[in-house]
Amino acid sequence: MRNRLLLPAALVAFVVAVGLLSFAGSPTPARAQPSTAPTTTPGGAASTSTSVANPSTTSSTLPVPAALSSVGQPLFVNNCSSCHGLNAEGTNRGPNLVGLGAGTVDFWVSTGRMPLAYPGAQAVRKPVLFSRPQQLAIVSYVTSLGAGGPGIPAVNTQSASESNGNDVFGLNCAGCHVITGVGDALANSAFAPSLYQASPTQIAEAIRTGPGNMPRFGPGTLSDQEVNDVVRYVTYLQHPANPGGEGLGHVGPVTEGFLAIVVGLGVLILAAYWIGIRAGAST
Amino acid sequence: MSPGGEDESGSDHVSSGDGGGGTAGPGGTGSGGGTATAVEDLRLEIPVERPRRIERFVALCFVVSVLATIGLAITYSLGGQNQAEGALLGVGLAGIGIGVAGWGKYLMPQGPFVEDRHELPTTEQDKRAFGASFSRGKVAVERRGFLGKLLGAAIGVFSIVGIFPFLRSLYNPRPGNALDFTQFRRGSRLVRIDGHPVTADDVEVGGVLTVFPEGHEGDAVSQTLLIRASSVPITTLPGRETWSPHGYLAYSKLCTHAGCPVSLYQQQVQQLLCPCHQSVFTILNGARPIFGPAPRLLPQLPIMENGDGFLRAQSDYQEPVGPGYWERNTSTTLNPPKKAAGQ
Amino acid sequence: MIKRPTMKSRDEPRPSIEDRTIEGARWLDDRFGIARFGRTTLNKIFPDHWSFLLGEIAMYSFVILIITGIFLTLFFVPSTHEVIYNGSYVPLRGQRVSEAYQSTVDISLNVRAGMVMRQMHHWAADIFAAAVVVHLCRIFFTGAFRRPRELNYMIGLTMLIMVIINGFIGYSLPDDQISGAGLRIAFSIFLSLPIIGTWGAFLLWGGNFPGNGDIIPRFYSLHILIIPAVIAILLAAHLGIMWHQKHTDFPGKGKTNRTVVGSSFWPTYVAKTTGYFFIIFAGLALLGGLFQINPIWLYGSYQPFKVSYAVQPDWYMGWLDGALRIMPAWETQFASRYLISAPFYPAVLLPGLTFGILYAWPFIEARFTKENRMEHHLLDRPRDRPVRTGLGVGVLSFYVMLFLASSTDVLANTLKVSLNGVLWTFRIGTPTIPIVVGLATYQICKELSRAPSAGLRKRSAVVVRSTEGGYTTVPADIRPGDREGEPPPEALPEEAVGRGVGVGTGGREEPGEEEVGVAPVRSDATAVKPPRRFSGLLRPWHGPASGG
Repeated sequence: MRNRLLLPAALVAFVVAVGLLSFAGSPTPARAQPSTAPTTTPGGAASTSTSVANPSTTSSTLPVPAALSSVGQPLFVNNCSSCHGLNAEGTNRGPNLVGLGAGTVDFWVSTGRMPLAYPGAQAVRKPVLFSRPQQLAIVSYVTSLGAGGPGIPAVNTQSASESNGNDVFGLNCAGCHVITGVGDALANSAFAPSLYQASPTQIAEAIRTGPGNMPRFGPGTLSDQEVNDVVRYVTYLQHPANPGGEGLGHVGPVTEGFLAIVVGLGVLILAAYWIGIRAGAST
Repeated sequence: MSPGGEDESGSDHVSSGDGGGGTAGPGGTGSGGGTATAVEDLRLEIPVERPRRIERFVALCFVVSVLATIGLAITYSLGGQNQAEGALLGVGLAGIGIGVAGWGKYLMPQGPFVEDRHELPTTEQDKRAFGASFSRGKVAVERRGFLGKLLGAAIGVFSIVGIFPFLRSLYNPRPGNALDFTQFRRGSRLVRIDGHPVTADDVEVGGVLTVFPEGHEGDAVSQTLLIRASSVPITTLPGRETWSPHGYLAYSKLCTHAGCPVSLYQQQVQQLLCPCHQSVFTILNGARPIFGPAPRLLPQLPIMENGDGFLRAQSDYQEPVGPGYWERNTSTTLNPPKKAAGQ
Repeated sequence: MIKRPTMKSRDEPRPSIEDRTIEGARWLDDRFGIARFGRTTLNKIFPDHWSFLLGEIAMYSFVILIITGIFLTLFFVPSTHEVIYNGSYVPLRGQRVSEAYQSTVDISLNVRAGMVMRQMHHWAADIFAAAVVVHLCRIFFTGAFRRPRELNYMIGLTMLIMVIINGFIGYSLPDDQISGAGLRIAFSIFLSLPIIGTWGAFLLWGGNFPGNGDIIPRFYSLHILIIPAVIAILLAAHLGIMWHQKHTDFPGKGKTNRTVVGSSFWPTYVAKTTGYFFIIFAGLALLGGLFQINPIWLYGSYQPFKVSYAVQPDWYMGWLDGALRIMPAWETQFASRYLISAPFYPAVLLPGLTFGILYAWPFIEARFTKENRMEHHLLDRPRDRPVRTGLGVGVLSFYVMLFLASSTDVLANTLKVSLNGVLWTFRIGTPTIPIVVGLATYQICKELSRAPSAGLRKRSAVVVRSTEGGYTTVPADIRPGDREGEPPPEALPEEAVGRGVGVGTGGREEPGEEEVGVAPVRSDATAVKPPRRFSGLLRPWHGPASGG
């Protein structure tokens, strides 16, 4: 009789010991402490640029070597001029590019959206036709035709704040691109693309130049620091930590509901079928 | 029938492991002998031909459960990890569940047994007896009819008074005309969420900014979408010729449908889209809804620029912002609000 | 009759469990007289059908919601008081967040096992509501709501409403950006109520949206106390009435309107339902551990001026959200004085009508069929009721369309089609598709009911090759699952019941595996032998001892 109790007792003792181990181990990680101390309000950095007269001159940009424009010209003529005209002056198939700025041209070319595959539809990200030097050559050529417009933003995320980027993103970007950056459909076949493939420079270019239907956020609206913060946060969103498990596409309750109803309830109903049906001899 | 197989301890030895005494011989909890007719009832048999296999399977389930749950305890003790915890907990519980359900399904008699349904209604006699009992009491109550009425009055009054705290105590801010106005006044500077005022140069054409009346940053009702649709003034509707200096349009951010922030500005087509129910507004003619469930134009805030560069409100909105409500009437819409006019 | 406990006076060295149980029961019986009720309980017969377990998914989800919910209450702070977040999630550090939000992020990321608990809670809520709806469909299409079960059906409907409300409230408690948008819409829906709307909304929220911060604590007490208590009471009534009225059953061999046929509560059904509880628990644990739900740390604390696209509610509110989306822009102005605003029709009138008709359905149907003169304990096969089934499927497809319409933006983005096109598809499809689906269902039911064998499992045939090389086809042996070969149902034998036969001794007595050859395998060529009774397939309970 004593022997019969030995195994269960050992099992219980073992499990209890494991439970006690959890107290001996590292304490629970520090939880957020409530604090009412005032802090700098998010977006405070915007103050520096409230009364800037000419935005494009003060925002820090990367220089585009002018020498490349001779390389860029044949590329432009071969690939772009059928819609934008030989001197980028625009035709009825494509807009005038003169004075749009290096950032604009670089965004469209470097994301593969230009050259356009299907005129008329919203351009989509495609594999890029040109090498990076070729892209810069095209940019250089187009900017040599006329000055103006935002340059290629010099992104520096070293000192950027993810948290402030999160805040700015939530106010200005999440409305269309979704708080997780996954993108969504807009009215009339337009759509806000997913941000998951965008490079830091492309994110900053899109913010500054407002491609397509996207609004333009100039230095008077978002400071360079804020742009850097947003870029840093979007870079995080591209590979967010998913501590809860499989991220389900980050589109919110649509996929969650689908999983709950179809997979979750489905499996449970299959289990009900197994339990509920009377046993047969085939087992 | 083998009466010799009686083994009382068998019935509490529930772990159906396949190693122990299970194979010792036919045994049973029933005392042998005279119960032959009962135990030969096919309905009390188990429905499988090889219970040994099921036993092994059930035992395996329970063993897996114990192991998984111990694994869970170890994982937890080492600091925890969500996926491991969920998986081990799931396996541990599934082991118990599948084991017990399988035990019940394959190793327990499944009948079919039949049970008579009892008559739900009672007999006529019962009903009459109930009626008699009730009327006996009813007579006693009716004899003092006025007491009954007074009791009714007492309980009725109490019921009504009892609701008071649930309404009056909650009713702190009476609605009043809170829904008719925002915090914009004549001359209010438009400021960003961080409190910095907006100047006429700040937003580029095709740009957009969320603004508030100065001193009310983050106010849910006053939130306004400032759009620079052009570099020159735009007349969105007759009578609004002076409302958009430098091509700035200011619309209430609250959708007239269900109050979501309408902040999806599509600058090429000059449309606003509401993220909640996809109403579409065209901003160049007064944010008229052209698609979706929104019933009314987004209210436009008249703004001005007095030469100091700051954008200011000319007045409050001229109609209530946001979704409709019962007291919202046409006069509220047409007449400029008194408060705004007074300042 | 009742003996005093005399266990100690016996000289048995070790009382068996059974004796101890009886001893304990005797102690209780002396005080409460439980034996008779206990016995009928143990002997209660439950019909076997998988669809009768759908309600159990809901019930056990509720139990799991309570278990996980209790854990969450230990850490959740129901307050909209603003604090500066400085916890472990870097992208939020320094932001102003509400305490409710901060504590939920903490539960997710810092409380040990908090994430799995929170996610299980959320998944359980989704599955709870889904199971209630599926259970309701089973009740509706099989006619289980008819006399005498109308009231229990209405109790069930009330629980569905409670589940939806409590789900929405629970979804709102973390005070994150997505749920805040839902609350904003809820406020607008309140506003749209005629006469009382404005006052009601201001009373509940404590002022114009977002209110004075009272809404989260108020929702909290509703969510963890009041509504769960209501659900628990209704659930007790639901089960009690079901217990008293006894379960319905599908028609079949040996089934009559006067009897219940199935297996006994103890031990078979107890084992099955206990096992099912753990299986449901396991499913929710796996979902909670492996699939991330509602990652509020990504969404941020609610700010009324911020919004994210792709704002959907949890699925059980989807039909209302879809209705809000596809509804034309209708407002009604009364005498230029009062307004019935746009959300009223899709978000107040529609659910009102939905549940009003659902509540009234047993009585509406009885009015037409005149069937409420008798009790109905045998269920309908849906095909035998083409009108009800057609109507039900049609209406169900209407709600499915509304439900799908709540994801128009995600659908348009996923399928790369125009958002306006998708919305128009739903605007046209939602009123028309149900009519087509309903009529088609009606027709299918009509035709199925003309073919009595349609949909029934065929008894399989076995092709036997003889030694001469010829082939013959013979019907396969009857399998117990076919029910054909089962013994006719009879009452639980008194004797066996009295002895507790069947208590956990299943399978122990089987003498060994050497005899299994007796049981015919389907491919066995000896299948030509005369059809055996069911007994031939089974090991007898106290089997004929082969060896001794």
